[in-house]
Amino acid sequence: MKKLWHVAWHEYHRHVFTRRFVLAGLLSVPLVILVMVGLIFLVISLDSNTTPLGYVDHSGLLADPLSAPAPEWPDKLVPLLSFETEAAARSALDTGQIQAYYLLPVDYLSSGHLSVFHLGEFKSPARSQFYSFLTVNLLSNTDPLIATRLVKGAEIIVQSPDGSRSISSKNWFNVVLPMIAGIAFIIAMFSTGGYLMHAVVEEKENRTMEVIMTSVSPNQFMAGKIIGDTAVGLTQIVLWLVFIVLPILLLRNTISLLSGIQIAPQTLLLVMFVMFPVFIMVSAVMAAIGATVSEAREGQQMVGMISLPVWIPYMLTGQLMSNPNSPLAIGLSLFPLTAPLTMLMRDGLTILPAWQIALSSAIQVVSAVGAIWLAGRAFRLGMLRYGKRLKWRDVFAKN
Amino acid sequence: MPTVELSHISKSFGPVKAMDDVSFSIEKGELFGLLGPNGAGKTTSLRVMLDIFKPESGSVVILGGPMSESKKDRIGYMPEERGLYQDIPLDRCLAYLGSLKGLSPGDVKQRAAGYLERFDLAAFKTKKVKELSKGMQQKAQIIATLLHQPELLIVDEPFGGLDPLNTQMVRDLLLEQHQQGVTIILCSHQMHQVEELCDRIVLIDHGRVMLYGVLDDIRRQFSGHSVTVRTGDTIPALKGVERIESVNGTVKLHLLPGTAPQEVLRNLVAQNINLEQFEISMPTLDEIFIRVVQGKGKEA
Repeated sequence: MKKLWHVAWHEYHRHVFTRRFVLAGLLSVPLVILVMVGLIFLVISLDSNTTPLGYVDHSGLLADPLSAPAPEWPDKLVPLLSFETEAAARSALDTGQIQAYYLLPVDYLSSGHLSVFHLGEFKSPARSQFYSFLTVNLLSNTDPLIATRLVKGAEIIVQSPDGSRSISSKNWFNVVLPMIAGIAFIIAMFSTGGYLMHAVVEEKENRTMEVIMTSVSPNQFMAGKIIGDTAVGLTQIVLWLVFIVLPILLLRNTISLLSGIQIAPQTLLLVMFVMFPVFIMVSAVMAAIGATVSEAREGQQMVGMISLPVWIPYMLTGQLMSNPNSPLAIGLSLFPLTAPLTMLMRDGLTILPAWQIALSSAIQVVSAVGAIWLAGRAFRLGMLRYGKRLKWRDVFAKN
Repeated sequence: MPTVELSHISKSFGPVKAMDDVSFSIEKGELFGLLGPNGAGKTTSLRVMLDIFKPESGSVVILGGPMSESKKDRIGYMPEERGLYQDIPLDRCLAYLGSLKGLSPGDVKQRAAGYLERFDLAAFKTKKVKELSKGMQQKAQIIATLLHQPELLIVDEPFGGLDPLNTQMVRDLLLEQHQQGVTIILCSHQMHQVEELCDRIVLIDHGRVMLYGVLDDIRRQFSGHSVTVRTGDTIPALKGVERIESVNGTVKLHLLPGTAPQEVLRNLVAQNINLEQFEISMPTLDEIFIRVVQGKGKEA
């Protein structure tokens, strides 16, 4: 058994302590997320026009106005300028001093009608800031608590019957988060599985196999490699989490979107008992592919065939979101390759029954054990077929 | 009890019979030669011996019984197809392969240091294996095979890719191991090396044992087809002599089948030829090999 750990450590060491792992494995996903978030903020920033907004008030509502609440980050504050006459406001608009101006007629309080004048595009941030300003002033004589509630608007919270889960418009991110986590998990699973496949092909190509086989049993060798590979994947995921969770924790007080993020204990159960066995299963299948093919490129084509079903739940997002407890959703939750993403997507949308988690977990564990057996067998049969491909029917043949 | 014993082993790959009722044994402490032309079934024999391949019939006894995981630590195997991890430094590669043979990191470090020094590789131990020359990698492979001080050493073409200096070094190393009581199976095409190093051999061709036994006995068995004569006189045509050939100041008489060297000697004396030397030529292993493989030998 000791040799198994030597194999696992060797596998871990040769993949993790490399420049390729640090650059491609560790930094790729956080960098992509960083770039995406950066682009979103850049678009918001470019979209924000901080040129002042004017208003002409004939109704008297804004004679002695209360100031508008500060906009939420990343929106920027748009200064509001009061004009005595419409002509003055128009002149300011023509000279570009203001981006638009509102005209509140005398009967505004009774009619609720107002007009807005602009020459170019008039975007939402300035508009919503002016409406907040109006609302604050319309509610100036109301109880401050009620006024605040009205300004903030309604928040509808949908709660599960047992009270364990809830969702509202403010923490919608919790629905998307499991899906993002599932995608990151699949990327990690296939990238580390790819390392393992390449390692096995390489051992065939550089003829290390024969030396290895006279030192350690094929099963111990394969199990050691799979453990090492799984540890590489977990390292990747843990470090991604550090990269992703740390900024969330640091920014959750600044960005209201992040403040509502919750991780339910059920999600952790899914990770432990459904996703982890699938990870091992995929690693073992990748190792088996490595043992059967004669070169890495050929293996890559076979990996494509396995990775396709994994993304099926992603392609069926619409159906799964509209009916997360349909027979299709349950079926995909049980099938080994589609289970991780389906389970995580459903976890954000519904309460997963315990029996489904237990059954899916049992199927994944059995599949993982079967895949390890298959990998060991493919390895034993295919290891010395230099330059030749092992047929899958030989792997399953009784001998 | 023999260290290795193969009894009536047969192994096929599809229609090709790689081993056909092969039997031979290797005694403890012996330096044994395994010979045969390319594709004869030598490597298959080694792989069956090491339980990498399962035979269709027959049995293998190695180190007192069937192959087991614990026995792997007592065997050193250097395959003809060399294999080292190319992308890691040499010292880490040796440490890993040593650990798979049950060595502690301390033992690996200590033993590897000695061998690296001996093979002039100490200065290259932190280099990646792929950065080493072919000869250096060959020496590294030999170190990996010997690190765990095996009781049974199986080396397939250990001199391949080595210059004369390193060939001598490996040869000395094999003799040293032999003197220490290690059982060695040497698989090689270099007949003169086998001739100088091995006590007994087996020659396999087309998956069958063609020759097997003590090397001197085999040579004696194949001797008598020619005699070497040194004389100042001209040798006339002799009864029973097929051809006369001058070789470096001597004359080699090739005898017809059924002619005894003693008969030729009697004829020479009868014809008053002054003999300075009369010697029954012992064939080299090379000659025996060619004769057997070309179908002139007989099955053992």
